[in-house]
Amino acid sequence: MESVNELLTISPIVIIGFAGLFVMMLDAFTGNARWSFYASLFFCLAALAGAVQNVLGPTGTSFYSLVYYGGTASFGAVLVLTGTLFSLCLSKDYLEQTGNHIAEVYSLVLFAAFGMLLLVQANHMIVLFLGIESMSIALYALAGLLRDQKKSVEAALKYFLLGAFSTGFLLYGIALLYGSTGSLALPEIAEASDKGVMYWAGVGLLFTGFFFKVSAVPFHMWTPDVYQGSPTTVTAFMATASKSAAFVAFILVLSRALPDTSQQWQEVLWIFAVFTMVIGNLLALVQENIKRMLAYSSIAHAGYIMVGLAATSGAAYSAVLYYLFAYTLMNVGAFGVVAYYECHKNCDFTEIKNYAGLGFKKPIMGILMSVFLFSMVGIPPFAGFIGKYRVFAAAIDEGLISLVIIGVLASAISVYYYLSVLVYLYMKEDETGMVMKRPSTLYSLALIILALLTIYFGVHPGLLTDFLGSFYSVTW
Amino acid sequence: MLTVVGLIFIVALIAPWIYRVLQDKAGWVLALVPFSSFLYLASFFPEIAAGGSITQSVTWVSMDLFEVNLAFYLDGLSLMFGLIITGIGTFIVLYGSGYLANHAYLPRFFTAVLLFMGSMLGVVLADNLISIFVFWELTSFTSYLLIGFNHEQESSRKAALQALLVTGIGGLALLGGMVLMGFASGAWEVSTLLNEGDIIREHPHYLAILLLVLGGAFTKSAQFPFHFWLPGAMAAPTPVSAYLHSATMVKAGVYLLARFHPVLGFTDTWMMLVGGFGVVTLLISAWLSLSFTDLKQILAYSTVMALGTMMMLIGLGTELAMQGLAVYVLSHAMYKGALFMVAGGIDHEAGTRDVLKLGGLRSLMPISAIAAMIAALSMAGIPPLFGFIAKELVYEAALGANFWAVGFITLAVLANIAIVSASLIVAIRPFYGPKTETPKKAHEAPFLMWIGPLTLAVLSALFGLLPFIVDSKLMVPVASAVWGSELDFYLSLWHGINLPLILSVVTAAAGVGVYFIWDSIRESAPMKVYQMIFARFPVQVYESLVNGMLNLAGFQTRVLQNGLMSNYLITIMVAAIAAVGYTFFTKSGVIFNPDVSEVQIHEWAIAFGIVISLGVMLFFTHSRLTMVVAAGIIGFGLALIYLMHGAADLAMTQVLVETLTVILVVLVLIHIPKMKESRSILYNSRDAIVAIAMGTLMTLLIFAVTAVPFDAFISEFYADASYPLAHGRNIVNVILVDFRALDTMGEVVVVAIAGLAVYALIKMTRAGAEKDVKK
Repeated sequence: MESVNELLTISPIVIIGFAGLFVMMLDAFTGNARWSFYASLFFCLAALAGAVQNVLGPTGTSFYSLVYYGGTASFGAVLVLTGTLFSLCLSKDYLEQTGNHIAEVYSLVLFAAFGMLLLVQANHMIVLFLGIESMSIALYALAGLLRDQKKSVEAALKYFLLGAFSTGFLLYGIALLYGSTGSLALPEIAEASDKGVMYWAGVGLLFTGFFFKVSAVPFHMWTPDVYQGSPTTVTAFMATASKSAAFVAFILVLSRALPDTSQQWQEVLWIFAVFTMVIGNLLALVQENIKRMLAYSSIAHAGYIMVGLAATSGAAYSAVLYYLFAYTLMNVGAFGVVAYYECHKNCDFTEIKNYAGLGFKKPIMGILMSVFLFSMVGIPPFAGFIGKYRVFAAAIDEGLISLVIIGVLASAISVYYYLSVLVYLYMKEDETGMVMKRPSTLYSLALIILALLTIYFGVHPGLLTDFLGSFYSVTW
Repeated sequence: MLTVVGLIFIVALIAPWIYRVLQDKAGWVLALVPFSSFLYLASFFPEIAAGGSITQSVTWVSMDLFEVNLAFYLDGLSLMFGLIITGIGTFIVLYGSGYLANHAYLPRFFTAVLLFMGSMLGVVLADNLISIFVFWELTSFTSYLLIGFNHEQESSRKAALQALLVTGIGGLALLGGMVLMGFASGAWEVSTLLNEGDIIREHPHYLAILLLVLGGAFTKSAQFPFHFWLPGAMAAPTPVSAYLHSATMVKAGVYLLARFHPVLGFTDTWMMLVGGFGVVTLLISAWLSLSFTDLKQILAYSTVMALGTMMMLIGLGTELAMQGLAVYVLSHAMYKGALFMVAGGIDHEAGTRDVLKLGGLRSLMPISAIAAMIAALSMAGIPPLFGFIAKELVYEAALGANFWAVGFITLAVLANIAIVSASLIVAIRPFYGPKTETPKKAHEAPFLMWIGPLTLAVLSALFGLLPFIVDSKLMVPVASAVWGSELDFYLSLWHGINLPLILSVVTAAAGVGVYFIWDSIRESAPMKVYQMIFARFPVQVYESLVNGMLNLAGFQTRVLQNGLMSNYLITIMVAAIAAVGYTFFTKSGVIFNPDVSEVQIHEWAIAFGIVISLGVMLFFTHSRLTMVVAAGIIGFGLALIYLMHGAADLAMTQVLVETLTVILVVLVLIHIPKMKESRSILYNSRDAIVAIAMGTLMTLLIFAVTAVPFDAFISEFYADASYPLAHGRNIVNVILVDFRALDTMGEVVVVAIAGLAVYALIKMTRAGAEKDVKK
């Protein structure tokens, strides 16, 4: 009974791990990608149910304190699985229409999700490392999925080489932290009293590794190439689930392993947050390809999130969790709409200039895209606004006023490039006279649910924010 | 009040369907919405006139940190603005349905204009700071849609974007100011904040709050140097200009500062900034209006002038100024709304808005001519119209200013001279004089389009003749709300012969004089230069800022994101060196004192061998093969060092891994195109510097790590346990095959898999070569 209870604490990991293997076998024996798709959806839902159950339950550690469950960790699992589930819903149609419906996608996505779940529930540096690596290796393969396209192969190679390089940093950091504190368990690292050279070198390297995974500037170079080169729905998965996982793990490491030295590492986060927000937004301005634009915008979002991390308070961490949730909804949504447009092969719908007049052709898709983009800008009443507001407010509360001012100015830049997409959708005349396809029911349903959630959590965030605040017993 | 705002939003969304059902009649039905809101707001008259205020609240977002209540606060100030918004809004909906009749986008116009109306009403009625900001940005956004209404035109889109960027960014400044204000006072409701003025004024962040709030207000209300977007926004259809750019949206900044006057005002900084910017805007724009011949441009600059006047009054901060503000806002909304609508009517019926091409329309468009005349006289401040009372109060307030009184009154009179002649241009030029050929055959505008201006013009006359209709009921509560405590006054046309009256006479006379020589003034060189400096130059600055940002971003892309893997790697390494190095050196006070006395001569030799290989790799070769081999030599060197220190197993692994890697890389290299020959010395030096820095950092790290006392716990454990537990005397062997047998197996598997990969690659290469031969 004891061991069953322990298994329940990691039920999402178990389910998704099993699902990955099952789907791989299913493909081997049936060779029908549709079955793999439905099986993955089913397992994803089951895992999500498990994660929700955990997040509502108590917090604690299991498996000899290797994993942490409940609270932030399990909410991280919910984030990962939400991103995975919705990206999966969009994948089948998109991959079928673009002629890349390979069953391996599903097992690779599930393996990556397995790594992410391990990452968010890690209570031990080795588990964390295992999570990061299982996630990354599956993602490298996913990035190179379109083997006949040069861009995809190039992206995968770049991602792999740079990723392997940064993994080196991460591992070295973990090793040095172990050397200086004598433990790899997060709470025990916090207890160690010696904060000497080795400790700081370890922290520095560990941060470098994390910065790469969350694509903070200047470790962001792989992001646009990979986001552009991968199939769009896979990009949606990478942009949301993997980033959420990395950030949740980062929060757990910061709050559980390094809380005493927050004064010192706060500065590092401060500097990198500024770089990430400013450069991410500036580079997004000049993009003509929507996937690259969204890639840079996701870098900018990482910058805002790092403002929250730099604030180092419980309020800030719970604000970041909320932000990640909003971020997942609106990003999967935006990539989903792009993927829908891309299904029309006779025109390159990754180029923003080809979006002229599309808003009126398929009004629902146009409205959905507007909702997601407005939410990304951070305009009320969408979830993105509440997220940004809470992160910045928490940072102001900690006295990071200049950082917040930089953040607000940087996000002012973002208005330009998000709205320019809308300008194309609604304010330019379409000259091609193309006939748009009808998206399948599941596809539109997924996007509509995402949009409704974006609006719901923008209008009525209280329930979720109070709940997230309770992880850090924040009572203002 | 929530119901009212909500209703407008909902109707806005279903407006296209209403239009589909009712077609031409839709305008009438939709106009009922603002009209009923007008009546609803008017029902609060008795309570407000009695000096009361009303608060209604519905909790929207309840979050730990703050509550966003959908709270509404109604006092004199918000009531007046609410009435202007809904009242003129009613006429605009009617006017728009006539002006844009048969226009394909008419339903879209209804939606956007109603959305705007709801947002604008939200701005003036909302009690919560955050809600004000939300509605504020919504007005920016809806006005973006409205300005870009004719979106086929490049100029429309550009003007829309320009307005959105200027006001949107100002809105963010406002958010900053409001959040600081909320944190400083702990009050997030306007109604409570009004009593916290002293706390805010003495707060250390007062200046920051003030500047941020002013940033929001000045951009929205088109104050110098942000005044350029408003004339640009005239690209919008006239109903939009009449509504947004004269009567309502541009006054949001005025409203905001009036609202927060009791909180932020009464300080020297406030008076100088608000009053100063107001009076500068007032003067510059008044004369700019004379440099154009397009009716809408003239009206746009005169609007900017009016906004400047309002700002000046807020800045003066005297009781008289508050009275003047109340009257001026109301009278301006009425006459400017009317004039814009008339201008639109002329454009619609005659096909042009250029006053030089218009003339003698009086007999063709009699009703419009009457409306325009009354409204223009009110704008010029001629008795007995409401505008006269307003202008008298402005002069009195300027004369009674606590500082710079002479300056204020001089500039105000100078500006008003220009405005008098601008009103004459608008009212006389198109309607009197000889008839001209217009692009369209002109005739009177339809009923829908003249009812609005005429009503407003008549009201201007009515309020002027019988000022007691509005003074105690509306003007007193407004002025009291801005002042912060009760005021008592009454309005009248006749104050006796006093300085303001004399100045008015001078203004009117000079204005008429200017009107007669307008043609020569307009064409004169100084006017051209003037126009260049104050109308065109700010636009150019704005454009070069936007372009500059785009260029900067483009430049960054070329430098940082040029697609070259080696550049990416270098950037990452530099950043890592900087980050780790920074943390390392600032967070630790360790002095490095490595002891090299025990290092043997052959170890030095190996170390130098490694360094030389590195050098070969970096500088002296263009061949990838040489590089790989050099890297391999480094690996073997390391293996030798391990061996010398008795770690045979480690050396063995190293040799195996190194060999496999070299083979793998070489096999891959076969498929890769040749390297570019010309790698400049500059690139090589850069690479060398980064490499040396990285190496130094790593070396220092090793020193730091070895400096930490060694914990012998694990070695002692193995030494003690090897024999009793595993029956082996060689500790290394026991560890490898017993204690950590699984690890060993893992390593063996990895090496085996790598070997398989090598085999596969060799096969691939051979197959490829054979294919080539066949070809």
